[in-house]
Amino acid sequence: MQLSHTPEEEQFREEVRAWLCANVPRGKRPRTGMALREYDLEWQRRQYDGGWAGISWPREYGGRGLSLAQQVIWYEECAVARAPVGGSTFVALSHAGPTLIVRGTEEQKRFHLPKILKGESVWCQGFSEPNAGSDLASVKTQARVEGDHLVVNGSKIWTSYAAMADWQELLVRTDPEAQRHKGLTWVICDMHARGITVRKIPTMSGTGNLCQVFYDDVRLPLANVVGEVNGGWDVSMTTLGFERGTAFIAHQIHLAAMLEGLYGLAHELKGPDGRRVAIEDDAIADQLLRLRADVAALRAMIYLSVSRGARQPVPGPEGNIVALCYGELSKRVYAFAVELLANEGLELHDENPDWLTDYLDAFKNTIAGGTSEIRRNVIGERLLGLPRGGR
Amino acid sequence: MHFEPSPGDVAFRADVREFIRQHLPPDMARRSYICSQPPDIGDFRRWQRILHDRGWGAPHWPVEYGGTGWTAMQRHIFMEEIFRADAIDYGWQGTHMIGPVLIAFGTEEQRRRFLPPMLRGEEIWCQGFSEPNAGSDLASLRTRAELAGDEWVIHGQKIWTSDAAEADWGFFLVRTDPHAKPQRGISMLLVPMNAPGVRVRPIEALNGGRDLNEVFLDGVRVPRGNLVGEAGQGWTCAKYLLEKERTASAYLYRNRRELEKAREIARAETVEGVRLIDTPEFARRIARVEADLLALEWSVLRILAGEKNLHDADAVVSALKIRGAEMQQRVAALQLDALGPRALRVFAQGDRSAEVIEGTSLWPAYVPGRLGQFLYARAATLYGGTREIQKNIIARRAFGLGSG
Amino acid sequence: MDFDLTEEQQMLRDGARRFFREHYRFEDRRALLASEAGFSRDHWAKYAELGWLALGQPEETGGWPGSFVETAILMEEFGRALALEPYVSTVVLCAHVLGRCAAARAAREVLQALAAGDARLALAHHEPGGRYDAERLNVVATRRGDAFQLRGCKSCVPDAPAANRLIVSARLEGEEDIVLLLVDAGVPGLRMNAYSLVDGTRAADLVFDGVRVPASSVLARGAAAGDILQAALDRATLARVAMALGAMETVLQMTAEYAKTRVQFGQAIGRFQALQHRLAEMFVEVQETRSILCCGLAHVEAAGAERSAMISAAKVVAANAARIVGEQAVQLHGSIAMTTEYAAGHYYEHLLAFERIYGDVDWHLDRFARRAVT
Repeated sequence: MQLSHTPEEEQFREEVRAWLCANVPRGKRPRTGMALREYDLEWQRRQYDGGWAGISWPREYGGRGLSLAQQVIWYEECAVARAPVGGSTFVALSHAGPTLIVRGTEEQKRFHLPKILKGESVWCQGFSEPNAGSDLASVKTQARVEGDHLVVNGSKIWTSYAAMADWQELLVRTDPEAQRHKGLTWVICDMHARGITVRKIPTMSGTGNLCQVFYDDVRLPLANVVGEVNGGWDVSMTTLGFERGTAFIAHQIHLAAMLEGLYGLAHELKGPDGRRVAIEDDAIADQLLRLRADVAALRAMIYLSVSRGARQPVPGPEGNIVALCYGELSKRVYAFAVELLANEGLELHDENPDWLTDYLDAFKNTIAGGTSEIRRNVIGERLLGLPRGGR
Repeated sequence: MHFEPSPGDVAFRADVREFIRQHLPPDMARRSYICSQPPDIGDFRRWQRILHDRGWGAPHWPVEYGGTGWTAMQRHIFMEEIFRADAIDYGWQGTHMIGPVLIAFGTEEQRRRFLPPMLRGEEIWCQGFSEPNAGSDLASLRTRAELAGDEWVIHGQKIWTSDAAEADWGFFLVRTDPHAKPQRGISMLLVPMNAPGVRVRPIEALNGGRDLNEVFLDGVRVPRGNLVGEAGQGWTCAKYLLEKERTASAYLYRNRRELEKAREIARAETVEGVRLIDTPEFARRIARVEADLLALEWSVLRILAGEKNLHDADAVVSALKIRGAEMQQRVAALQLDALGPRALRVFAQGDRSAEVIEGTSLWPAYVPGRLGQFLYARAATLYGGTREIQKNIIARRAFGLGSG
Repeated sequence: MDFDLTEEQQMLRDGARRFFREHYRFEDRRALLASEAGFSRDHWAKYAELGWLALGQPEETGGWPGSFVETAILMEEFGRALALEPYVSTVVLCAHVLGRCAAARAAREVLQALAAGDARLALAHHEPGGRYDAERLNVVATRRGDAFQLRGCKSCVPDAPAANRLIVSARLEGEEDIVLLLVDAGVPGLRMNAYSLVDGTRAADLVFDGVRVPASSVLARGAAAGDILQAALDRATLARVAMALGAMETVLQMTAEYAKTRVQFGQAIGRFQALQHRLAEMFVEVQETRSILCCGLAHVEAAGAERSAMISAAKVVAANAARIVGEQAVQLHGSIAMTTEYAAGHYYEHLLAFERIYGDVDWHLDRFARRAVT
């Protein structure tokens, strides 16, 4: 067991810090649209040019080939430096890329991984459907094989950034006769292909990044299939495993940084008595410190799962614990933020940081990529060995 | 819609308060202050007798059997005053449970035999429902009784039977027809606890109390006439008994009294020279509980006043049970938190010695009993239908959602 | 005690329910949200016709006297429909202030206009940085002959963009006394920065830059003004509790229906016990809210401190319920409730606004604690 960083890792941290200090973009990040895409890709390009893209990705595809611990250090320093994280490059860097690394063909890897790292492509996810949410195995979007192509018809929903994406990790049903999770295929979908229509879904938070995608005889080359035709369930579990595991490093660190921001705010804003600053109010201080403790616990949990992840290439069900804790905790942090801001919290702002929008948006953390309820089911059944419930 | 109490109710409250002031023995009140749940059996007998002499032994019974004919609101006021004064909560298993069942389902002979000594506090009752493998799923109970001539012969085992060791009589649910549907084959029998074949084993509870028991029934024989209602009617009797006092499960009066004790502790205890009750954090915690208790109180009042468009009465009663039980736990936790580390000292259950009752400067009278009551309150979300069972009931009654 | 509605009260409830069912369908409401005003002037005129705008007002100014129970009944229906008209600001808050200042001629005139549907009012009291308390106001009224000059800033004033009259709280220059003034919304020197709140209703920041108002527009001053203001805010708080109750009951029913029809894993998700228990918890919260509303209604005419404390208790219980019911409604619906194309999210946003308007949980908890700990 090694609970502290090695001298090499500390050295690495110093380098990261120095580079970030000089290179983090200072301008305001757009909340949506092509402006957001350009902003995110530009930042990714700069990281690539500086030699910081894909820290734990293999060297042959443009990565640095370093350890997960170093990846964590990178994210931590990004948070300290208030560098942009997540956004429109998230799916590519945290889902699609890692999935291709373990499941993609050589050709797929050579084509896509460098593009992702160089900030040349935006990816989106294509799993959920109107009637396949928590029950992902009931995916109905169809793809039939015609020669060396798949022809796709159907619809996907809750797809973030679909309107600005180049590629999509698309889960389709290739064998309509097969039972549920058999007969699915994970295919790389070109979002500029003919027959694709994207509709923006208006959400409570009003960012407009959430979309529904329609497929009308969309032709995708069979060479785009990741894994086997009809073997897509397995690949998508790998993808979700990444989402529930290492992808949370960045989320958690972002959350921790947000909380520290709140800590600062609590020293400026008036508390409930309207006289003293908020931090002098026992109940607020108490709440804030509890959240800090919980964020610290989440961080420790993520370290643990990262160190486990180093020994198993494909993430296991443990990731659900992290995902569950993160989802619930993030809602609490943002709810607290709105509370701290009292009346001001009701106004929808265009400015960053915008706690109310973030709070409304945080709901997706307990719904998207597996609801908290589904995560509890998996924890009960696969980790605690409880009998499978009525499902 | 209006919310004022009637002048009659105001006068009634004054009457009750005065009677309790005059007749409640102070030593009994002090013991009850320390540990009201469960009450000391001796105190219970004495107090029941006092109430009976005033005609108040079982206020909720029909007048012809010794009831008072009070309105629901008067009974509510009566209970408020009982708890306010640290008097004894009157007999749960007896006048509350089996009494109304005998009145509704029993024979005239059974009523004449059992009701008067129950009213006078001379005979103590216990309830034999749960079994080791029949808890929330009561319909799966296995204790069986067969008719042999003029006698029922009972074999089986009951558990979590409060007061079984002190009880003179028990009312037991037994399976009399193994072939009927689970709920139809169950009957209710009255069993003298000194009958041959009845063995009681006390179970030591977390709070040190020994009022919980296992009861073994090994070929116990009772006369045919000890059957309540008809054979196969046991489930109906049990449901009637559990639903009779619909608002009792809010534990409103107990909760109000215990919250007052929490305030008393917070007024006396200090943190760095500041009274706990003056710290904003603890004041808010108390206020939070008090606000929820107000909601509970007004839920009870809505039911007592017979609100017509009550969403769904059964679901609302289950809601009361959930919140009433949780409230016991929250209030007990508040008391413990207010006490700090001193909350941890174990006082022997039933330790009613002068030192404990009078208190000392180090161990004020409000300390003993709190830990025990806190532990006892863990059972509040278990007995009388667990919180989870109550939620099932709500899902079914309020939303028509069946079992999954 | 009697918790049943009288025949008149039932008629009021049924009438309101019918009106909203016919005129407040989901798409109608969405169109209103997207409109410039954010509410319907036609509906407002209809409310006047139905007598709702005169509810609780003295008869001599064209009012329809009644207890606050009637107001609560109506508010519950507003909550079911998520009605957007500035009723609480105008009728519950401002009309109460005016009714208690009926000695002032200005007040009587506005009350009559209000009952006829010709006036909408907002109470400009909250100030930047003051959260919910405004013990020392920064908006100052300075005597200038037989008029006052107003300077300062009010922030996050609900319904101000819809109002043609404002009731403004101010501090008299050189004194600690507060004064309540009736101000025309179009008066020169008043700047209004309007915006949307999370529930789609509108609010504004108001900057008074030397606004001149005649002395006759003083409604009340000193301790009396403080008492009136407090009473009006308490009533508005309770009205919002009733509204939240209607919203919670509706979204709960909607969620239960959704759970019965949404199929995943080959069955309705309402068959999963984990979700049934969640619905049961929501049910308990809603019941508690109804009970605590009754408690609040029983104290709405009580003396100042007692009334304020009990209405604070109502707000604390209801706001907690609103948080739980609103969040779980979204969670049980899943992503569909994150969209503005589906009603559940709108209810959630309404409940989110309810939590903080006229004082949040901590603020009310502190106010109630002063009573609860003694």
